[in-house]
Amino acid sequence: MPSWSSFQPFIPIGVALGGVYALSSVGMVVLYRATGVLNLAYGAVGAMGAMISWSLINNAGVPSGWAYLVAVVFGGVSTLLYGVIFGPALAARDPLVKAVGTLGFALILLGLMTVLWSNSNITRSITFPTDNSGFNIGAIPVEWTQVIAFAFGLVMAIGATVFLRFTKIGTAMRALADDREITATLGVPVRRVEAAAWFGSGILAGVSGLLLADLDTLDPSTLTFLVIFTVSAALIARLRSITLAFVAAIVIGVVDNMITPINSITDYRDMTPFVLAIVALLSFSRGRQYSFARGGIR
Amino acid sequence: MEASGVVTRAGLSLRSSRVDVIQGGVAVLAVLFALFALPQLLSLFWIDTSTVTVIYSIAALGVGLLVGRVGMISLGQVAVLALGAWVSAKLLLSTTLPYPIVLLASGVMTMVMGTLIGLPALRVSGLYLALVTLMLAGAITVVLTVTNFPNGGSGFLGYNDNYPGTIRRPSIATSDPAFFRYSVIVAVLMFALVLWHLRSKPGRAWVAIRQSETAALTAGVNVTVYKMWAFALTSFITGVAGGLLGASQGKLYTFQFPTQNSVILFAVVLMGGIYTMWGAVIAAVLLWVIPALFTIWGIDSQVPTILFGVGVLQVVTTAPAGIAHQFPRDMLKLGKLIYRLLRRPATTASSS
Repeated sequence: MPSWSSFQPFIPIGVALGGVYALSSVGMVVLYRATGVLNLAYGAVGAMGAMISWSLINNAGVPSGWAYLVAVVFGGVSTLLYGVIFGPALAARDPLVKAVGTLGFALILLGLMTVLWSNSNITRSITFPTDNSGFNIGAIPVEWTQVIAFAFGLVMAIGATVFLRFTKIGTAMRALADDREITATLGVPVRRVEAAAWFGSGILAGVSGLLLADLDTLDPSTLTFLVIFTVSAALIARLRSITLAFVAAIVIGVVDNMITPINSITDYRDMTPFVLAIVALLSFSRGRQYSFARGGIR
Repeated sequence: MEASGVVTRAGLSLRSSRVDVIQGGVAVLAVLFALFALPQLLSLFWIDTSTVTVIYSIAALGVGLLVGRVGMISLGQVAVLALGAWVSAKLLLSTTLPYPIVLLASGVMTMVMGTLIGLPALRVSGLYLALVTLMLAGAITVVLTVTNFPNGGSGFLGYNDNYPGTIRRPSIATSDPAFFRYSVIVAVLMFALVLWHLRSKPGRAWVAIRQSETAALTAGVNVTVYKMWAFALTSFITGVAGGLLGASQGKLYTFQFPTQNSVILFAVVLMGGIYTMWGAVIAAVLLWVIPALFTIWGIDSQVPTILFGVGVLQVVTTAPAGIAHQFPRDMLKLGKLIYRLLRRPATTASSS
């Protein structure tokens, strides 16, 4: 077993990545609660936004601030478009079918990215100015980007909880999650509330895409399938609890990175989301019969 | 009331048996064509493409079985295929077992592994099962990246950077055309195995489960056993397909089985059609022949991925039964249209 000091540098990275996973999974859970759609295109949307902003910075000479803004707006608008076009058409279907629809969206984006940025010989990256400055906690160096990533996740988790509980539109979303028909009968503008949820979660996808491109790597396929980490956290939270999604995301991020110095299992560390989600699912489902519930565990 | 019921039932069974005969006839013709004519007609490039297509049609059949017949979505079937390919590569390189035995063994071992790994997944259903299998695909990719595929090296993993051994083929089918024929025969056997299941007790149990698990349970169907059975059967045929895949290519690399291929396989199966076995064949053609054509035409071979995404959206919104269902109907409509167009001048001529 390596000494404690070799684990230390991986704590801030893990917490930062956990923060981004939290950001994504909070967006995912909020969208699921409002519309019943588990958006598996979350990673692809973020990846595409990050790729666009890379091109804007490196090929078009756009100032990086504006390029990042474009990425975030792309996330919001593309997700909103998908939601507006396919949301109503699939509204009455099983959650499984809705999720499969987003898988189609993910494939479209993934294919587009591979075609548009086909030259794989270039190493692309996104670096924030905050990457090079930081401070020390004890002996552990911390970058400002890492602080920002974690802060985003934390703020979003708290923000989303407050939003769902205390605002009018948040209440409408919670009502939608319970019963779409009755909510519509009560006079809630269902389509508009759903559109807000799509747009909001798309914005979060854009932000997470940029942060992951900086903290991890800027590669369409990798970023698209980082959605597995997000899904895992959302799944542990049973697609309901924002607090649990946040905690799970941080734990996944930290465990995944803390394993790095342990030589015997370091190569297998990216199995973390799968292992944790399986353990969580099994412990949740102990002594309960879930096969009847539509969409599994409620 | 009673009589009309009988008539309808008789009419239905008459109709379905006629469709069966037509479909069976077409299937036999297609297999004969593939066995005897195709290898003569095609260049080596297309024979290789056809072999992979045949192999993937088995994997697609597995996905179609799970989704269409039992109502379980697995997003990790290419990872299961990779498991089968790994096991068979290991056996073919480090033993002298006859090839059919290796195929069978890789099928059985994949079945055991698939079922063991799938066991926890079976405790959840619907969306959760889909997500767990997606994560499973990711996890298997992680493991394969570390272990690599056996290539004749020593030790259990059998991988060595400097030892690029070739995975052997059956002695009766060493050439590419012969191996293509061999793959077709194995695929026919796998399709027959699945058809046999669908036509007997498990098939009826799966239909009941797909309609409603609650109803199936009350009707005395052991839901867990039959779900596991479906998983096991799918893993078995996918494992056999993996065995063919290794031998067809000679060498296997982890990058051939990325997580996204599991998702793409699922997409083409949806497009092909999940309610008939033809859908599996169409899916494999979409997956391998279309990108090959695109490459020849000078179009980016990733463009099909975009089309598959669009196809999935079309399937979930308007055409749940996929191409296998849509195509014959559209052709029939087209035929009627042409027939009417051809007849119109004749009728106007006779009336005037």
